[in-house]
Amino acid sequence: MKIGNRLGKLLILSLLGFSIACMPSAATAENAQESVVEQVIQRGVLRVGMSTFVPWAMKDKTGKLIGFEIDVATRLAEDMGVNVEFVPTKWSGIIPALLTGKFDVIIGGMGILPSRNLKVNFTDPYDYTGMSIVASKKMSEGMKGIEAFNKTGITIAARLGSTAVTATKKYMPNAEIRLFDDEAQAYQEVINGRVHAVVGSAPTPAFQAIKYPEQLFLPIDGTFTREPIGFAVRKGDVDTLNYFNNWISYVSAEGWLKERKTYWFETKEWESQLQ
Amino acid sequence: MNKKKKKVTAKDLILLSGIGLLAVWLIYQANAQTQYKWNWQVIPQYLLRFDEPSQRWVPGLILQGVFVTLRLSVWATVLALIIGTGMGLARISCGPLRRMMGASYVEIIRNIPVLVWIFIFYYFIGDRLLPGVGIDRILRESQGFTATLCSLLIAEPSRLSVFVSGTVALGVYEGAYITEIIRAGIQSIDKGQWEASSGLGFTRRQQLRFIIFPQALRRVMPPLAGQFISTIKDSAIVSVISIQELTFQGQELMAATFLTFEVWLTILAIYFLLCLFCSLFVERFELFLKKNAHPV
Repeated sequence: MKIGNRLGKLLILSLLGFSIACMPSAATAENAQESVVEQVIQRGVLRVGMSTFVPWAMKDKTGKLIGFEIDVATRLAEDMGVNVEFVPTKWSGIIPALLTGKFDVIIGGMGILPSRNLKVNFTDPYDYTGMSIVASKKMSEGMKGIEAFNKTGITIAARLGSTAVTATKKYMPNAEIRLFDDEAQAYQEVINGRVHAVVGSAPTPAFQAIKYPEQLFLPIDGTFTREPIGFAVRKGDVDTLNYFNNWISYVSAEGWLKERKTYWFETKEWESQLQ
Repeated sequence: MNKKKKKVTAKDLILLSGIGLLAVWLIYQANAQTQYKWNWQVIPQYLLRFDEPSQRWVPGLILQGVFVTLRLSVWATVLALIIGTGMGLARISCGPLRRMMGASYVEIIRNIPVLVWIFIFYYFIGDRLLPGVGIDRILRESQGFTATLCSLLIAEPSRLSVFVSGTVALGVYEGAYITEIIRAGIQSIDKGQWEASSGLGFTRRQQLRFIIFPQALRRVMPPLAGQFISTIKDSAIVSVISIQELTFQGQELMAATFLTFEVWLTILAIYFLLCLFCSLFVERFELFLKKNAHPV
């Protein structure tokens, strides 16, 4: 009886603690009435969520962020007349971080997926990317084309929560997928010959194949998917969505987006800044 | 003490060479199985590099991470000590409510995984802390001295919110273990000490402060030291909420440069040195306590 009583009290106390903890989250709904663009102008800072992903966003050797997305976000903030603040976030937790207001927008090469779109709003695509595959010479000697990898007993590595996983499940449903938090670890697996191949956004698989010619090869030329890339914002914010959409059509009409994309994806001039 | 000269016996030598051989074999195997292009010469620039424009040596990415880890660990430890001491005393107090509060705190925190706790705290509680008090906005707009002081001691104003939630989450978590260490330390003191001091006319507060606590302190030092070191290591977990500490910086660096093993090994060495330094310091402190103990 006595023990039961103590346990009961403990339970009530812990429930109380949790309800106090959950209460303030109701306050966020009220804050959301003002559009994100308005809040950014007032604050003077655009907070951008991103994750390291060569060559979209990465830190150079001085610790400064560089990359295609960094250029895009910096120009966006410049055009809004505010400062930009990057919030490096783990890819697997980037959508919850956006939803709980840790930053205003995700500009991080995020592919527009129907399943993601149920949780966030996307702008019009400002870029297209595709999935490409690089395979281990030791494990998958002589395999050509995507179909060759669609077999049981084949293991594919990919980055957790990325569209590479979706693409692999769709095009190679019979293969087993191993997930890694960072791309570098996935590529390390294929270089060590522990998985048959890695699926990742172009152009990194091709770059890796050039870097490790003895261990890696490209089973297909180019990419096997084509994915639209957009900014992700919290749902229901028409003002912000409209601003971003028009900004995207403005800079792409200028030819600026294309020029930046060529610089980051087709040249390797930036590589000396990294190491 | 045994004064016999310590000799290295044949058995010791065999054991030692066996361990050595095993280590060599493991390293050889690891090297043979992983095809990896080592590229160590680029690592030093991430620790310390010469900044051309300002003509000064500045900390690189990894060293910046070390500073964040240190600030995080120090603040979390301070917080954990405060909470732990308070709750530890509550656990041994005479009031049933206080005892129950202490027990609930320990049981709730100790029975949830730290990773999940940090996520929950960050998403639901953490960022209501600072804006709730209004410090967030003040610091974001602050400039000059306040901003410099803040970024030197805590974190840059823009990252303050996430830093505080990480520190508090870690501090509350470690505090539960310190609570138990303090409680066990105080309870390990012989009952006679309480009774004797009570007989001498000390109040309960005085008994605790002058008689029990000094004795308990010497007993709790070794487990406390273990907990401090544990805090440094546990601070790596807050990398999941994107606090830019050592592990997070390392992972970012790996994602950018693909130097997986070099970066992990560097980070390993840094954590090892930090913790080793910490444990040596505590060892010294224990000796100091022993020397300065008043003979009873």
